Amino acid sequence: MPGRAFEGLTVIECGDTLAAAYGAKLMADLGADVIKVEQPGQGDPARQLGPFPGGEPHPDKSGLFLYLNCNKQGVTLDLRESSGRDLLHRLVREADVLIHDRPPKKAAELGLDYEQLRSENERLVMASITPFGQTGPYRDYNAYDITTGSAGGWTWINGWPGNPDMPPLKAYGEQTRYQSGVNAAVAVMGALFWRLKSGRGQHIDVSAQECITSIIEMAYTFWPYMQVPAVRWGQRPIHPIDFFQCRDGGWIFVLCIEEQQWQSFVELMGSPEWATWEVFGNRIVRASNYDALRPFLEEWVSEWDMDDLYRAAQQKRIPFAPASNIADLLSSEQLKARGFFVEVAHPQAGTLKQAGAPFKMSGTPWEIRSPAPALGQHNAAVFGARLGLSADEMKSLSQAGVI
Amino acid sequence: MAEHGGGPLAGIRVADFTWVWAGPFCTLQLAHMGAEVIRMESMRRACVLRMLPPWLGGQPGLNRSGYFNQYNQGKRSIRLDLSKPEAVEIAAKLVATSDVATENFAGGVIERLGLGYEALRRVKPDIVMISMSGYGRDGPESEYVSYGPAQVPLSGMSQLTGYKDWPPMHVGMSYGDPNAGLHAAFAVLSALYHRERTGQGQYIDMSQWESTIALIGDAVLDYSMNGTQPPRDGNRVGHMAPHGVFRCAPAAGGSTSGAGAQTGGGLPEDRWVSIACGSDDEWRSLCRAMGRPELVDDARFRTLAGRKTNEDDLEAAVSEWTSSLDPFEVTQRLQAAGVAAFPPLMNRELSEDPHLNERGFFVEKEHPEVGVMKHAGIPWRMSETPCEVWRAAPVMGQDNDYVYGELLGMSSQQIADLTERQVIF
Repeated sequence: MPGRAFEGLTVIECGDTLAAAYGAKLMADLGADVIKVEQPGQGDPARQLGPFPGGEPHPDKSGLFLYLNCNKQGVTLDLRESSGRDLLHRLVREADVLIHDRPPKKAAELGLDYEQLRSENERLVMASITPFGQTGPYRDYNAYDITTGSAGGWTWINGWPGNPDMPPLKAYGEQTRYQSGVNAAVAVMGALFWRLKSGRGQHIDVSAQECITSIIEMAYTFWPYMQVPAVRWGQRPIHPIDFFQCRDGGWIFVLCIEEQQWQSFVELMGSPEWATWEVFGNRIVRASNYDALRPFLEEWVSEWDMDDLYRAAQQKRIPFAPASNIADLLSSEQLKARGFFVEVAHPQAGTLKQAGAPFKMSGTPWEIRSPAPALGQHNAAVFGARLGLSADEMKSLSQAGVI
Repeated sequence: MAEHGGGPLAGIRVADFTWVWAGPFCTLQLAHMGAEVIRMESMRRACVLRMLPPWLGGQPGLNRSGYFNQYNQGKRSIRLDLSKPEAVEIAAKLVATSDVATENFAGGVIERLGLGYEALRRVKPDIVMISMSGYGRDGPESEYVSYGPAQVPLSGMSQLTGYKDWPPMHVGMSYGDPNAGLHAAFAVLSALYHRERTGQGQYIDMSQWESTIALIGDAVLDYSMNGTQPPRDGNRVGHMAPHGVFRCAPAAGGSTSGAGAQTGGGLPEDRWVSIACGSDDEWRSLCRAMGRPELVDDARFRTLAGRKTNEDDLEAAVSEWTSSLDPFEVTQRLQAAGVAAFPPLMNRELSEDPHLNERGFFVEKEHPEVGVMKHAGIPWRMSETPCEVWRAAPVMGQDNDYVYGELLGMSSQQIADLTERQVIF
């Protein structure tokens, strides 16, 4: 059995959103001991978000929570109380990483202050994920996913082109939080790598707004390079890149990036006469004349069933893709062959299939070792066994509502 | 000439076979942290991004693309035509001096070139190698071709994103690419960490498809639990209301074609602001900030359940207020009241955003062909090992002399000979 990448590494997660939870999940799934600190009583807000079996809310059965928190140890700790912050400091002394996503003012109230925590442990790598970063005029702005998606420039470029009456649109789910979580995990790994050589930890300031501005493809640089304003669906300077509905109602994504892919697509269509017209002569002019091109493609696609067209295109190495439903993913032969979905048995929620490893490492496994914790499930293991608190001490902290 | 500088990965070298966006976005993260990333490029098949706009002044050119120059900052570039056996030998020599090798060709291509993991570990036993294919390296569809924009529909995200009762939608960018690139950078760094502790390298098989599905984990569980496919619902979400993007007063001097136009200097006329209330408290603050205190006591809106039931009316009340205001004014008033609001920024506004500028987010380095352009920078700050872009993106082959001469020890005669025979091409 190969060793885990993060065997022996301890990560403390003090999150309020899925950003810290996802960053810590990436590490937990490669073997880190992640201690998830939740507020006594309500716990991680993701416990309230669902989806729930049968639509019945239950704090241990929220799908979002179950997905994000496998392999973690859950403890409750009220960081608003000084005795709670003392316990956090004791945890930090033994820890390698602390990852949180509280806004600056809130973080300070909860004792998530790097200078203070460093005095407990100078090897600590601490990542603070916030909507706008630790500095600058917006640092204390209130923000949810849609707020940072807007501030980062993503919302503006999403929506149906040519429909200025419809609003800029967010992508499904809290994507800006996923992205800031992965960015934090990347930066934490850089800092851990440096710590192997220097023996020193450090603080990392991750701005969700900047994480988004960094990934909006060509939409941003169209301004400095060409003074062209960004538009809905980004800029599609080449074509075809579009959805079409098939005979059976399925949607196919028609995509030709390279010229030879378009040529193969033309062959697949039986080399119609219009495809020889100069107005469709290369990917750039096809974009300029897309209004003329689209009806030809629409008519041709409408005579196919979606899956047949997908396979026929891929046979010719044309990169079409289906607009998958979740059911399509769960029944995909490819994803099955790779064992992508994993079944996790949870004492409350039952055995459920969920998304598995985002990458496969030959030497250090990605694995599910335990399901998401119930609220406070590991208090005894962490505060007792790990920190050495006596049963009496834990009882009085519990009665005071600190744990 | 700038020096290749510090950062936590100083001293790490990456032999970078990647192209297009996903792979280069992975190696961008490594370059941001100070790794020396050496991209192998060829005129025989130049990187797709070099041939896509925006080009400076609209004038095409391999070194003029803002898309390429954004995502290849701080990297080196050499020319090498890997279709020639001699070039493959040179690439292997470069790998032998490297810590990491990265590639994102379609499945099987790197092995056919003779540069698969088995070949590379023979020249560098502890190499960390990552393949970032569309579908993963095994399974019946492993040789399917894919690009980042196709990962959005393939992953299920398109069926989940869009206006209510409209068709499935894209998300506005080739999201599968940067997401795979970031997950790949995390995987590579994890493997480097492990190598540093154990001396062992390894191979990482990343499927862009799978790393994109990782972003809709809640929807997968909804199906597992209930057999239901979550419906598209625009900007609305179940746990907040209002939660949307609301129309503001039109921009003075803006053009109505802006939202759909591909080109044209005029700025769009349509202006919007995002507003979200995560609690009843925030809703009450919004009512007062809108000058509508009577809505606090409106029974339809008092609870989240009520606001969700009456969401059309709720949004109409908010829109009525925003529609005569500038989006930045709305933002200032609401943020002062503690309510989350921000306009959807377009590219010009990002570039001029006082906050991003004050944080020093943008990078302005001299590039040999496009001069100084304002590029998006690094989305994190490290306190002890500051990360910085040490140099603008390379022009093709900018580092031939350094890599072939200094790193691989070739004489200028050898380099000239390889260039003559178009091995260096």
